[in-house]
Amino acid sequence: MRMVAGCDVGSLATKAVIMERRRVVAAAIVRSGPKPAASAQAAMDQALAQAGCGLSDIAYCVGTGYGREKISFMNESLSEISCHGKGAQFLVPSARSVIDIGGQDCKVIRLDAKGSLVKFVTNDKCASGTGRFLEVMAKVLNIAVAELGELALKSRDPVTLASMCTVWAQADVIKHINARRPAEDICAGVNAAMANRVAMMANALQLENDICMTGGVAKNKGVVQALGRIMGKRIKEIRQIDPQLVGALGAALFASEKATKN
Amino acid sequence: MSSILSQAARSIDLDPVRKFKEKGGTVIGYTCSFVPVEIFHAAGMLPIRLRGINTESLNIGDAYYGPFVCTFPKALLQQAGQGSFKFLDGAVISAGCDAMRRLDECWRKMSEDVPGALPPSWFYYLDVPHKPQGVALEWYQSRIRKLIQALEEKFGVHITDESLHLAISKQNKVRTALGELAELRCLEPAVVSGTEAFEALIARNVLPTDIYLEELDRLIEEVKSRAEPVSGYRKRLFITGSICDDLELVEQIEAAGAVVVGETVCYGLRNTSPLVSDTGDPVAALSAFYLSGSVCPRMFGYYPTRLVAISGRIKRTQAQGVIMQNIRFCDLHGSENGLLERDLEKLDVPTLRIEKEYGALTEKGRLRMRIDAFLEQLEKSRPPVQEAEG
Repeated sequence: MRMVAGCDVGSLATKAVIMERRRVVAAAIVRSGPKPAASAQAAMDQALAQAGCGLSDIAYCVGTGYGREKISFMNESLSEISCHGKGAQFLVPSARSVIDIGGQDCKVIRLDAKGSLVKFVTNDKCASGTGRFLEVMAKVLNIAVAELGELALKSRDPVTLASMCTVWAQADVIKHINARRPAEDICAGVNAAMANRVAMMANALQLENDICMTGGVAKNKGVVQALGRIMGKRIKEIRQIDPQLVGALGAALFASEKATKN
Repeated sequence: MSSILSQAARSIDLDPVRKFKEKGGTVIGYTCSFVPVEIFHAAGMLPIRLRGINTESLNIGDAYYGPFVCTFPKALLQQAGQGSFKFLDGAVISAGCDAMRRLDECWRKMSEDVPGALPPSWFYYLDVPHKPQGVALEWYQSRIRKLIQALEEKFGVHITDESLHLAISKQNKVRTALGELAELRCLEPAVVSGTEAFEALIARNVLPTDIYLEELDRLIEEVKSRAEPVSGYRKRLFITGSICDDLELVEQIEAAGAVVVGETVCYGLRNTSPLVSDTGDPVAALSAFYLSGSVCPRMFGYYPTRLVAISGRIKRTQAQGVIMQNIRFCDLHGSENGLLERDLEKLDVPTLRIEKEYGALTEKGRLRMRIDAFLEQLEKSRPPVQEAEG
């Protein structure tokens, strides 16, 4: 059997995963540019270089993410909701619920035992509860977005943000900076605001255990912890691969099924 | 596909309406399905349901309405302020919901700042009660008689029982033909696309009846004689929710691989009641027909009846899933969609809730992703749809 690939063109990052015999052999994450086709090509080129092969060695490729229709080298496209569900259940077979927080959206997904979609909800046209919210707050705090999670874990007295709106929360963060509140307390407040927003959506779907989190924001331990605390449920951590790659992994798994059938 | 129906569904400025005006006809705009159009037809006028399609900016709408208001009345106000409704001789605003009721005040106020924005001859407010029986029905009937009187006084026309009966009879023909089209949409495999059917449904609201009936009959005959069904669809979907004349939404759903087989939305086919009686007191018959309890969530206490009607139509159309759309800040459908989601899923009808703005789709990518995911969710075989118990 030849290799298969999944490519996930998101709003902030583009991801590619190459698999062989249902094992990840290469993966890449690049920043999404204005042209989805070019971003997809860049991510795929990186993954192919890692795998030491060319596009002709890929038997089947499934595209996903907002830019999926622009991927020139894919065989078919699927929604990222199906792909995140598929990838999450491959990594955590007991998963029945998936919370995926990407750059510009948040999805809550319920799965059956076979990994098929049962129900899902997504956020509406609003940056609140998405990776963009964290990016904006990190910028105001003058730290890297990756630092938000670790810093928050050191907090002893988290601030409360009065608004979940990205614009108003920004003003709130500036207020706390001016009041000389420690950065770790503000980070914890930011993560809690984010988690509150996501928990509202998740509760609407009546999530079943086990729950796991995918997408770039799953790398922020502060948000994961806050979300678990607010929902009163344990969130299983994905350890095998970068959680940001789960959509592309799911796409590669679908590609693997198609390649086997063909 | 009829080009006349298609054009009528996609534009505000219509050739048949211009020709009607050139012949000295009077055109009256209205805003809600609780306005009996037969009254205007009986007076020889052309009633046109106002639309906010192709609105590119809401600078006028936003200036007179608050920020947390549905974009549909804002789009109507915008079009009025931009002069898109210059062809109107008069307009009737009615109390469909609170935001639509306030269109009366906002339009009047806006016309103080934008001279000529109000229809030149007549601008009328029709109140509509929220219950369909007893004193509410009597009161609605009295409002309809008052509306007739106002039209007669303003335009010097005489609306007789006979002319009302004729108008009722003609609109009943339209209802019968639309019922036939709805039945054709129930066939599996599908023989008519949702886009084509929705064009025909929207066009009903804006075309002169004779032209419309001719085109509709032609479409129905053509659909009946089609040798090939609609190709390439994966699932049959039904649309519910807020007012919708958004062909782009239906097109996008169908481009994702579904066929839209029915809808209960304003501009679509909502009232599946029996025909209006064309004998006896016509005003009483029209009042009883139009003030239906189950046709819109604005009517108080009729959710169980609506659920039975909606689930019945879903079953009849053999829809495999329901897209429940609502315009942001639409309290009526936003709330009802929550109940419908709960109750339809109890009947094993999968649902997808979409909140959107009225008009141009600014969130196409996100919407497409949700529709794709919903279709992927439906790919699993589903048990047949049940009907709610009445």
